[in-house]
Amino acid sequence: MDRAIVDITVLTEETSLNLPLAQNLSTVPVSDLVAQSFKTIAPFWPLKNLIAVNPLQGFEDVPFEEALPLGRAYFQQATLPEPMEAINRQTIKWLQAFFDDGQATLPMPMRQDGFYTAWRQLVIHDASLHENDEQKREWLTTLPQNPVQAIEQYLFRTGIAPAEQVSFLTLLLTTLPGWASYIRYRTDWAGLDANHPYPVNQIEYLAVRLIITRLLWPDAKALLSWHQAVLEQNRSVPDVLEKIQQAEDSYRLPLLEQLAAQPLTEARTPDAQLVFCIDVRSEPFRRALEATGDYQTLGFAGFFGVPVQVTDTVTGETHASCPVLLTPQHTVYESPCCSPAEGEHDRRAYGRQTKLKQLYQSLKYSFTTPFALVESLGLASGTWMGLRSLAPGLASWLKHSVSQSIRKPMAVTTSLDTLPLADQCAYAEGALRLMGLTHHLAPLVVFCGHGSTTQNNAYATALDCGACGGRHGAPNARILAGLLNTTEVRTHLRQKGISIPDTTRFIAAEHNTTTDDVTLFDDNASDVCKKLTNDLAKARQANSMERLKQMQKSADSSVGAPQTLLRSQDWAQVRPEWGLARNAAFIVGPRDLTAALNLQGRTFLHSYDYTQDSTASSLTTILTAPMVVAEWINTQYLFSTLDNVAFGGGSKITQNITGKIGIIQGNASDLMTGLPLQSVYASDELAYHQPQRLMTVVYAPRPLIDTVIQAQPVLQKLFGNAWVQLACIEPEERQTYLLTRDLTWQKAI
Amino acid sequence: MKIHMALFLLDKLVYVDRLSLTMITLVVFIGLCVGSFAYRYLKGDTQYWPFFIRLAVLIGSVMIMVSADHLLLLLVTWCLSNGLLVRLMIHKSGWKAAKASGLLATKNFVWGAICVASALIVFYEATGETSIQALVQQNTLSPILLIALGLLLIGVMTQSAIWPFHRWLLSSLNSPTPVSAIMHAGLINGGGFLLVRFAPLYLQSPALLTILVVIGFCTALLGTLWKLMQSDVKRMLACSTMGQMGFMFVQCGLGLFPAAVAHLVWHGMFKAYLFLSSGSAAKEKRVDQGYPPSPVALFCALVCGLTGSFSFAVSSGKTWASGDSTLVLIVVAFLTGSQFALPLLRSKPMRTLPLALIGTGLFGVVYGGSVQLIAWFMAPMGLLQPQPLNGFHIAGILALTLAWLSRLFLPTSQKGASTPAWMLKGYVTALNASQPHPDTVTTHRNHYHYQ
Repeated sequence: MDRAIVDITVLTEETSLNLPLAQNLSTVPVSDLVAQSFKTIAPFWPLKNLIAVNPLQGFEDVPFEEALPLGRAYFQQATLPEPMEAINRQTIKWLQAFFDDGQATLPMPMRQDGFYTAWRQLVIHDASLHENDEQKREWLTTLPQNPVQAIEQYLFRTGIAPAEQVSFLTLLLTTLPGWASYIRYRTDWAGLDANHPYPVNQIEYLAVRLIITRLLWPDAKALLSWHQAVLEQNRSVPDVLEKIQQAEDSYRLPLLEQLAAQPLTEARTPDAQLVFCIDVRSEPFRRALEATGDYQTLGFAGFFGVPVQVTDTVTGETHASCPVLLTPQHTVYESPCCSPAEGEHDRRAYGRQTKLKQLYQSLKYSFTTPFALVESLGLASGTWMGLRSLAPGLASWLKHSVSQSIRKPMAVTTSLDTLPLADQCAYAEGALRLMGLTHHLAPLVVFCGHGSTTQNNAYATALDCGACGGRHGAPNARILAGLLNTTEVRTHLRQKGISIPDTTRFIAAEHNTTTDDVTLFDDNASDVCKKLTNDLAKARQANSMERLKQMQKSADSSVGAPQTLLRSQDWAQVRPEWGLARNAAFIVGPRDLTAALNLQGRTFLHSYDYTQDSTASSLTTILTAPMVVAEWINTQYLFSTLDNVAFGGGSKITQNITGKIGIIQGNASDLMTGLPLQSVYASDELAYHQPQRLMTVVYAPRPLIDTVIQAQPVLQKLFGNAWVQLACIEPEERQTYLLTRDLTWQKAI
Repeated sequence: MKIHMALFLLDKLVYVDRLSLTMITLVVFIGLCVGSFAYRYLKGDTQYWPFFIRLAVLIGSVMIMVSADHLLLLLVTWCLSNGLLVRLMIHKSGWKAAKASGLLATKNFVWGAICVASALIVFYEATGETSIQALVQQNTLSPILLIALGLLLIGVMTQSAIWPFHRWLLSSLNSPTPVSAIMHAGLINGGGFLLVRFAPLYLQSPALLTILVVIGFCTALLGTLWKLMQSDVKRMLACSTMGQMGFMFVQCGLGLFPAAVAHLVWHGMFKAYLFLSSGSAAKEKRVDQGYPPSPVALFCALVCGLTGSFSFAVSSGKTWASGDSTLVLIVVAFLTGSQFALPLLRSKPMRTLPLALIGTGLFGVVYGGSVQLIAWFMAPMGLLQPQPLNGFHIAGILALTLAWLSRLFLPTSQKGASTPAWMLKGYVTALNASQPHPDTVTTHRNHYHYQ
């Protein structure tokens, strides 16, 4: 401790002299050092739109079997050097306060000036840090205004060799990885949060982290040697790789064999075509629906190719409704349907609803008044608690009736005015071509987005549509259907060689993945629609039964749908649905390849017709966008299962929500990124998800696939480092091939 | 003969009165709710059945505790209940932060149990009585009994997380959610229960009552301040409970024990519900309250507040302009009524005033009615004894009012504008004071264990 004080004194003097320190450092600017160190960290999207990410995204540049030991060394260590614990405790305290998005009524002051600026002025008063030691306090009051300088001073004073600086900064991040992930999101992937009122950047965070480290662990340089030792101990490839490979071996070849054996059928026009999201949960439902009638189903990314952000004109809220890899290009407005009077009615109803919330919150989040509030509402909340716990079905019905009487759910229209005609045509054409739906269009074509319904579930958005940025997919489905119903777009498409029969109508729908209910957004009750509605109900019952068997031991065949509905309404339910658990393959090709197979909800299905894709542009899109998202999902499930503490969220039963952005465990902890235990495990000990890497199967000639891989470094990285296994079914000879690490083809069987 | 003996023994050990019945009803109800919630919530947990066994024994133990008449039975069930609570809190012993939470709570409860035990021993030594009912009928308070009541009070404070014994509660959130629910609706009320059990004695000592009022106010204000600052939902709820327990202390200190019981019961249900629904916290959107209100709106709100406090007084059978300690509750009703009216008066206050008046009047009736429901049931026990107003009461009223006004009028920090140093310092001090015990924080992710 003595040394620390001396060091700090020296530092204080130097600061007051304002020495130009940078020249003593390596020539690499601090901003580069910081950016480089953050490369190890995967982003973490907040609870409002949880997006699946590979927790080892930072190591995708090395082969999978090398990334595993690295992941173990960086993220899975059972302990940290002891002084890091106090440093983390202080960091967590300040990050919780700063990154509060609406939980605290009296939030941290000055946040609007940015993380470092606000913190610098508050930390002077933090007795738990300076321990009322005059010198330390003095040092804190003279911190440089610019966080870059703070970092430079630290690196200079502690004598960390230039070659080790990035390493050191990286370790400061990986010793508290969850929070660093959130900062990575806010700085590199923020999307609509880019203009967050409480700004932060990576330099600011590391400056704060360094200053706290400086105070609490003067010899923090030892972190480097600790890490070296850890790396040494973790050189070997973990046993778990063998288990993963076993699972892959027993799954992949049989699947390829089955797929290759499926005959293609002649193109024909069915009663209706339904396009579902590529999500693995669509597969069993599509199978169930196809069994009920003459329906053709297709798979396509659930945002239907329209990169938009959606604004609700009643609530005024806006969200991006496209994959996080894309930037929304347009804003579309959703309003209650259809007359102005109805719109006004809904606005007033929303006003009433808000007023009620405001009344409650005004009493709850104030001084003195909560004492009277609890006495007034005790009986009511007790009754409500009893109902929800003992009779969740009845409670759900009651809640539904009451909320309907306050604000009736309204049909919604999406305005297309904000999309220029040229873009409208481009999106319409792009979507149809990509899914191969350019001929034999049925009288009814349904674009079916998806979303989930769960109660009291902090991870709710993890079950929603990832292609829509972790939201419900209905808006995008409505947009594409709307576009394709307009005459101008159809005229344009005809010029481009896609002729849509005048009798064909496009409608939007949404598949509720928790209950298997499908809502058709259509007021025109044609016969086809009526029949489809009936058949959707049958498919719901069938798929509910299939899914219930995976969720509980005994499932009564008569109550499939009511049971899944109950799970979606139960506030105590920690496994409302299995989400994308057990996902294992991504199949790119016509439905004929898969239609006769029971793929057990383990496959992403993307429709693709190589005969219409001579330039491989569609395949490029499919492999670089939806497939990359599928890889993110696959690796998230994989690592959340392998180590639910280091890479997952831990058990829901002790979870706590901080700042409305993320999960912590108990009193306070690292931000728990990844999926909760209950999403991948059937019990504390028994995993439900099968950890294995994604296999992508493409039904197309190898040369076509090769042109795509050669042009796309991201694919070379994922295939070459074995994060994804690529397989090909040669359409002519029906021979299956696997892509090797050096990106050449090898017969599979 | 045997049955006779058993009945005789039971009569010696147990005394079921309206207080016991109220507490038993509360605990059984909360137990049912939490139990059925946990039946689904804990599916797949390795501690699934042990959890339910512990929960059932805990509820049984609390039921005996609130019905105990023999001092020893009270002490034994008191210790047993707290021991079971700690075991439920830890749940999985592999997680060292959870164990630390349990250890902290244990230390607190052990101190509490020592105080309670000493108090009971002193009671016995001084009076020779082993029956609580016989004991509380003493009509003179000797100094030795005062000491016993003081010791008991400390025990009560540890149990109900009253400042400065609050730390264990703010550090208890490593517990599974259902355990937090049962803790905040059940066990934390043990302190309040004990106060009411010995109320006839406390009512004989104005000095002790005043002490209750003072520490009650301090705890109430501190708890609420910390609650408003927290950024995670569970610690916010814990700080809120601390504040609510402080208010319950105030009610006891005012001589309004039935009101305190009403507070325990209704707060218990409210808080248990909030804990069980804490998974929804991220979805809750805050509505902008538009502070500070305009002078006209505030004036109208105060008028509504008067109406609210009046209807509260009428429906809870109190005198509105009373000169005794009931005034504190009337003022709380007045402030709450005013706050209730504010959102209704936000735009065009004069136009919405009639609606706000009616609304606030109804709110007062609901509030007063809830209190009266319990007070009516407890009435035969004769524990509603308002005290003469004193300076501490007035100071408390002022503090409640000023705190409320500060929420309306203290400016929030604006971009570029500097915040006064005292506010920054105050913020950091309060933030640090409301942190959980260091050992109970999971400083390294991999220290967390679910097995």
